Amino acid sequence: MSASDSSVSGEDHEQDDIVYLEELHPNSKSSNKTPTKTPSSPLKFSQNPPKFSHGRKKSRAGGGGSQKSGRVYHSGLRTLYTAGRPPWYDSHGQLKEPFVIGVCGGSASGKTTVARKIIEALDVQWVSLLSMDSFYKVLSEKEHQQALENEYNFDHPDAFDFRLLIDTLKRLKEGKNVTVPVYNFITHARDEHSKTIYGANVVIFEGIMAFVNKELLQLMDMKIFVDTDSDIRLARRLKRDISERARDLEGVLKQYNKFVKPAFEHYIEPSMSSADIIVPRGGENQVAINLIVMHVHKQLQERGFKLRSKLLNSGNVQCLSVPHTLHVLEQTPQVHGLHTFIRNKDTPRDEFIFYSKRLMRLLFEYAISMLPHKKVVVETSQGVSYEGKRLDAKKICGVSILRAGETMEQALCKVCKNISLGKILVQTNLDTMEPELHYLRLPKDIKESHVMLMDATVATGAAAMMAIRVLLDHDVPEENITLLSLLMADTGVHSVAYAFPKVNIVTTAVDKEVNEKFHILPGIGNFGDRYFGTDFLPD
Amino acid sequence: MLCSLKRSTLKVENMEPDLIQNSVTIETYDDYDFGPKLKRLKVTDNVRELQTVLRDRNTNRSDFIFYADRLIRLVVEEGLNQLPYKNCEVITPTGQPYKGLQYEKGNCGVSIMRSGSAMEQGLRDCCRSIRIGKILAYSDEDTHDAKVVYAKLPQDVDQRKVLLMYPIISSGNTVMKAVNILKDHKVLEENIILLNLFATPTAVKALIKLFPEMTILTSEIHPVAPNHFGQKYFGN
Repeated sequence: MSASDSSVSGEDHEQDDIVYLEELHPNSKSSNKTPTKTPSSPLKFSQNPPKFSHGRKKSRAGGGGSQKSGRVYHSGLRTLYTAGRPPWYDSHGQLKEPFVIGVCGGSASGKTTVARKIIEALDVQWVSLLSMDSFYKVLSEKEHQQALENEYNFDHPDAFDFRLLIDTLKRLKEGKNVTVPVYNFITHARDEHSKTIYGANVVIFEGIMAFVNKELLQLMDMKIFVDTDSDIRLARRLKRDISERARDLEGVLKQYNKFVKPAFEHYIEPSMSSADIIVPRGGENQVAINLIVMHVHKQLQERGFKLRSKLLNSGNVQCLSVPHTLHVLEQTPQVHGLHTFIRNKDTPRDEFIFYSKRLMRLLFEYAISMLPHKKVVVETSQGVSYEGKRLDAKKICGVSILRAGETMEQALCKVCKNISLGKILVQTNLDTMEPELHYLRLPKDIKESHVMLMDATVATGAAAMMAIRVLLDHDVPEENITLLSLLMADTGVHSVAYAFPKVNIVTTAVDKEVNEKFHILPGIGNFGDRYFGTDFLPD
Repeated sequence: MLCSLKRSTLKVENMEPDLIQNSVTIETYDDYDFGPKLKRLKVTDNVRELQTVLRDRNTNRSDFIFYADRLIRLVVEEGLNQLPYKNCEVITPTGQPYKGLQYEKGNCGVSIMRSGSAMEQGLRDCCRSIRIGKILAYSDEDTHDAKVVYAKLPQDVDQRKVLLMYPIISSGNTVMKAVNILKDHKVLEENIILLNLFATPTAVKALIKLFPEMTILTSEIHPVAPNHFGQKYFGN
């Protein structure tokens, strides 16, 4: 795959797009040169002035920010995807646990500023930010009325749904995707549209009651308390609520004295003792932030980097036996002849497409014959019964690894009627030569399905492993995954088979070597480029 | 008359006169040796499913066509394996040599209408510009006597390998007539490869006896042929 392939076509991916706004990419080499321009809703509340306020930030007010996400599409900020997610598992396919940073502090203490500065300085491409604001409880009609009159106490542990919060953070920590509710501060209910957040290398969790719950505390690898003088906090709050939210001085002070101040004294300030680091003066404290970042870096390095080169050189390759999960299409003269066509560098493109499609068709017929079948007796049109077989898989769906895997979709549709298809975009970062996850769209019922995971070629197996990991994170059982490709390298076969011993690997040929550019030898060249004609060089 | 190798698992429900003689069981011929000229598609679970769907009377027409096309494609691909080729070496885009093979030119397809034309697209999908001739053989429903009423073949058919296509062979009469037409056009018997989905053992034996040099490729040999194929595939 080529790196120029950054934009993904697609129309109605609204929900997915919102997802990725949650992830910040300060080091992105994309059009977002200035990290602060990253359209991350939690950090930029000012772009969406709330209509109603009770003192909490509510950038998400107004229903999932559909209007905002619409703006994101049209302004071309999709390029956010170009900072993809690097591997979040090691070369054995096992999860690297994300580093969870908790940020706590009183209202208007500068928690998000600290969080943002950490993200900027961290220089890590995949960070998820989780805000406690998403986890307010749904209010009853009566409570809703109270809230409208500034009488409901949002600054109390009981106002939060800690059970949901803990479950969400736990899942994120397992690297799985989570759906985070979108709290609507006008209706005080959860919006119908929730957001999906994917596990990341670093998860930052912030909120005023972040350190109040014991179970929650145990999930954090680092606890930061932002300790800002109460006078400054009150001053910021007054300024924010009066000038930005058009509220009157009296109401703000009333709420402050009745709820915000007691809450700080009763719950927030005592929870400071749980913190590992206390950051005085909030976001201005550059020394503290530098120290934090250094520590996180060290932790991340210990958790493993550089997956692809590790795969290439890993001991996995040396295991001599052919993994039992590998199935190679029978090498008939036709298969051999088809390979001759598509491997020949002088084959014209239309023939390349034609013959690779034929090979794909054979590959899928072969792969399907390996799925479980059950015996059935049917009544024939000739009046006798016939003992035959039918497929025993409840459902089959296809998932292609963009871009080259997409070429195989058509052949799959010719073999499986009405199959639903998902897509995963994994690109190689040309600087690090690491695979990165940029986009995914999977069928809803994927966890009940048998998944045909398609990529035209598998060299080191890094992209395939990332895709398998994504499927596992979406609760697809490992034994329900079949990885299909036209050509694989020995290295890739062994890496995938070693990391995921239950995944069925089906291919039409296995080549011995991979060169330093991660091309298979003798190989087939860059399949996607040859198929789509993007290797064209004007003379 | 039937040579059994396997205890059969198939039971006759509506007994037809010619089936009753073998009691309630029908022999299967999955392992029977018909000699070297008979080639069979390897029966995987997948192939068995295709056959099951095509035989099932409850299959709707759209499914029938979908599954038939799949089985046809597999038979055609396997048929192409019977064609001659020579070894060659090519250079891959990475600059490495690859030991491959190249098929010889000089093949053509001939479909026996009407059901044979269902297989034309399968062949066309594998060999884009292959020449395809047609033979229309009309078989009398009562006497099973076949008559050729039309034949249009490539002019140099005698110089070519011929992939003769006919999906269902129950008595073999139609195929016999068609092969005779080919022989009339000076096609060598050994150059004919018959591509077939379902055949009866009787017909296969008769064809092998009559044309010992011809190659026959089928997916299943079974005493009951799914004779509804053409009707269901074409919808009338």
